Amino acid sequence: MLAELQNSIGDDVLTGLAQAGGAIALCAAVVALCRWQSVHVEREAVVSMARGLVQMVLVGLVLALLLHGRLLIGCLILFMMAIAAAITAAQRLKGMAGALPLCFWSIAAGAGTVIAAMLATRSLRPDISMLVPVGSMIIANAMNACAQAIERLRAEILAHVGQIEAGLSLGAEPAVTVAPYLQSAVYASLLPRLDMMKSLGLVWIPGVMAGMVVSGISPVYAGIYQFIIVAMILAASGITGLVATVLMRSRAFSAAAQLTIRSAETMASSRASGQAR
Amino acid sequence: MTTRPNGVANDIRTVADAPQVAIEPEPAAAITDLETRHLSRKVAGRVLVQDVSVQVLAGEILAIVGPSGAGKSSFLRLLNRLDEPTSGTVLLKSQDYRSITPRELRRRVGMVMQTAYLFPGTIAANIAFGPYQCGKMLAPAQIEGLLERVGLPGLADRDVSNLSGGEAQRVALARTLANEPEVLLLDEPTSALDEASVSGIEKLILGIVRERRMMCLIVTHNRTQAERLAGRTMVMQAGRLAAIGPTEQVLHAG
Repeated sequence: MLAELQNSIGDDVLTGLAQAGGAIALCAAVVALCRWQSVHVEREAVVSMARGLVQMVLVGLVLALLLHGRLLIGCLILFMMAIAAAITAAQRLKGMAGALPLCFWSIAAGAGTVIAAMLATRSLRPDISMLVPVGSMIIANAMNACAQAIERLRAEILAHVGQIEAGLSLGAEPAVTVAPYLQSAVYASLLPRLDMMKSLGLVWIPGVMAGMVVSGISPVYAGIYQFIIVAMILAASGITGLVATVLMRSRAFSAAAQLTIRSAETMASSRASGQAR
Repeated sequence: MTTRPNGVANDIRTVADAPQVAIEPEPAAAITDLETRHLSRKVAGRVLVQDVSVQVLAGEILAIVGPSGAGKSSFLRLLNRLDEPTSGTVLLKSQDYRSITPRELRRRVGMVMQTAYLFPGTIAANIAFGPYQCGKMLAPAQIEGLLERVGLPGLADRDVSNLSGGEAQRVALARTLANEPEVLLLDEPTSALDEASVSGIEKLILGIVRERRMMCLIVTHNRTQAERLAGRTMVMQAGRLAAIGPTEQVLHAG
């Protein structure tokens, strides 16, 4: 294992670090430009870049160590990634009880279903070198879809409290009163992925295809495979968005069909109503 | 402690009179249609409604007045369980409302809010919304009948985005009436309307409550409106029931 690690740290790593230095310098110039225009992103940019570089180097080291490891280890890595993704997405729902499990189950449902389908159809090889990079792409997009869907649904609910409570007052099921907002939240979460699919090959050639072409695989097959990856990302995002909004809908109402995310006041009241029942 | 709705002249209470006691003896055989029992609601330690007990009879309009933040709307929202009481309960025809499903309760206890909050679409679709939720389809003639009742005949197919404030509030009232509620809760239904619209809506409310023998509770900032509409008035202060009794006496009690 150590030998594998030593082999992976060669001249190309030093070259890579030098290139990363160049990329950081360009980003620093952009940050300076932003500062000149009174857009202050210095701190965030430094933290993000430092985190990004360290995380990617660590991932590279882990992959170098585990490249030929068992499938179970690959699944464990994806599980940890799903938890990290859920923690990130749940930050959009600060103050809402159960946000973390909501995000985790949504991302797990979307990414898990799609990765399992890819493994079953052999469009994804069951080894770590393939499973982890492709799986991580799907999880990352599921995370974005989850965050966008729940943020949009929350905003829609807060903007339409009157209509929702008018519906409830007329005897409607909670699900009926928020149905239009749930639909628009799922649609909003899918829009970036749909745009990604539309622009595939025209505006950008994604990394997987580029990597496959560089490593000598037929460009046509690489293109088709890239389409499969983006289609799976779209599917995972759709499942994640649907599950996230349905789970959030169930948390948006109390057992007595009262809107509980109306405001901070109502958030507290839902706890009180739980006691009352 | 409760106060019978048909109590007479001296049935007025004030905070200063604590412990609150109904002065007039309660009629033994009064039929209770809607009764709140020690209804309270606290949110994050803040009292919104505190120990409110009142009764309302069929065909009666009870006005709820008081300064801003007194808990009038909070009290009203507890009656159709849009919010949950932290203690106390409501009896609807002697049945604890927690034993009624929230959807059925809200059909029986209809509410018209300060803003109409109509759903996008036609007036007809808005009116048919409530009955449709329990599997009933309103016939066009029934919709037209409701529209005639609220003074908007022939407008069933009009889009709600083209309505004035007064028209929208009339549609909101018709939409609530489509469920044939036993209780009508009105949360400042005329506060955003001009004088002419206010007068029309008030006449409408009086007529509908009389003809349908409904129980009606109306929150209003306008004391003269309370005098025009309500046989009895309750005054709320800091979430508490400060006074209740015949409107003229309560409002002129100083």
